[in-house]
Amino acid sequence: MPGHVAAGCLALIGVQTLVSDDLEIIRRVLQGEIDSFAELIARYQQHVAKITNRHVPSDRVAEVAHDVFVRAYTSLSSFSGQTPFEHWLSGIAVRTCYDFWRARRREELPVSALTTEHQAWMDHVLAAESDDQFREEARRQEATELLQWALGHLSAENRLVLTLVHLDGYSVREAANMLGWNVVNVKVRAHRARQMLRTLLLERKRQEDDTTQR
Amino acid sequence: MTRLNDENLKKVERALTEAHRLRQEPSLGADWTFRVMRDIRREAAGHGQSMMFPGLDRLVWRTAAVAAVLALVFTGSVLFYTSRDVVDLTALLSNEVDVVVPLSE
Repeated sequence: MPGHVAAGCLALIGVQTLVSDDLEIIRRVLQGEIDSFAELIARYQQHVAKITNRHVPSDRVAEVAHDVFVRAYTSLSSFSGQTPFEHWLSGIAVRTCYDFWRARRREELPVSALTTEHQAWMDHVLAAESDDQFREEARRQEATELLQWALGHLSAENRLVLTLVHLDGYSVREAANMLGWNVVNVKVRAHRARQMLRTLLLERKRQEDDTTQR
Repeated sequence: MTRLNDENLKKVERALTEAHRLRQEPSLGADWTFRVMRDIRREAAGHGQSMMFPGLDRLVWRTAAVAAVLALVFTGSVLFYTSRDVVDLTALLSNEVDVVVPLSE
């Protein structure tokens, strides 16, 4: 057996063992061994932190990930075991992030303002000639802040769909499964949200150009 | 100053996507796990019954409408059959008040 095929088989066996282990842990938790839930937290906390980190501000990741596991525990009896626990948990994580933005929208917190440095960043990106230069610009704080500024202008629904489909690169079907929405709804929202992002960037650039010309 | 045409817009979008993917991975730590487990134990203490009988909560919701109708019928019948007794009791109480001898006598 060639090496890569053997490695593939071992990886598959590893995944299957993990899935059956998850089911065994879940069974124990449902029978009242609550402390066994800590094993699931240890296994999946990095996975959940990764998802929440892509959707909520860095200083709120721990709080939202906390809510994800408490929610997962309270709805554990509804886990059918037909899909891997990791997928089921991903759906809870994404929906918890959605609730975070819905609650925040109600609070009507102000969207952070942009400075001239953020405005200049777009020119630097467009002027980047090599891939290295381009990546260097993407690593700058201004890039993250400009993205957060733009996302801050979108509704919770559009924000989430845009992040999942256009930024994370999930397919429309995968995003729909995670959100528990239908595929057409996600497709329409993904298109609409991208148009909104483009309009925001264009308006921002136009304003900047007008200011420079004066 | 560069105009933002369709091609340039795509370049900015690509840079923003790259920025999103380059976000630093957070680490949650042992204290975080401890706090989550503490809340889960608290939750379990409150909802111990439903966790011991998986699916019980769903069963309760499915039968909620029937339970509500039964409760209404029961309340209605209790009121109907006891209304006469209530009138008698009220009359008895009012008689008792009438026959109380004032303290001044």
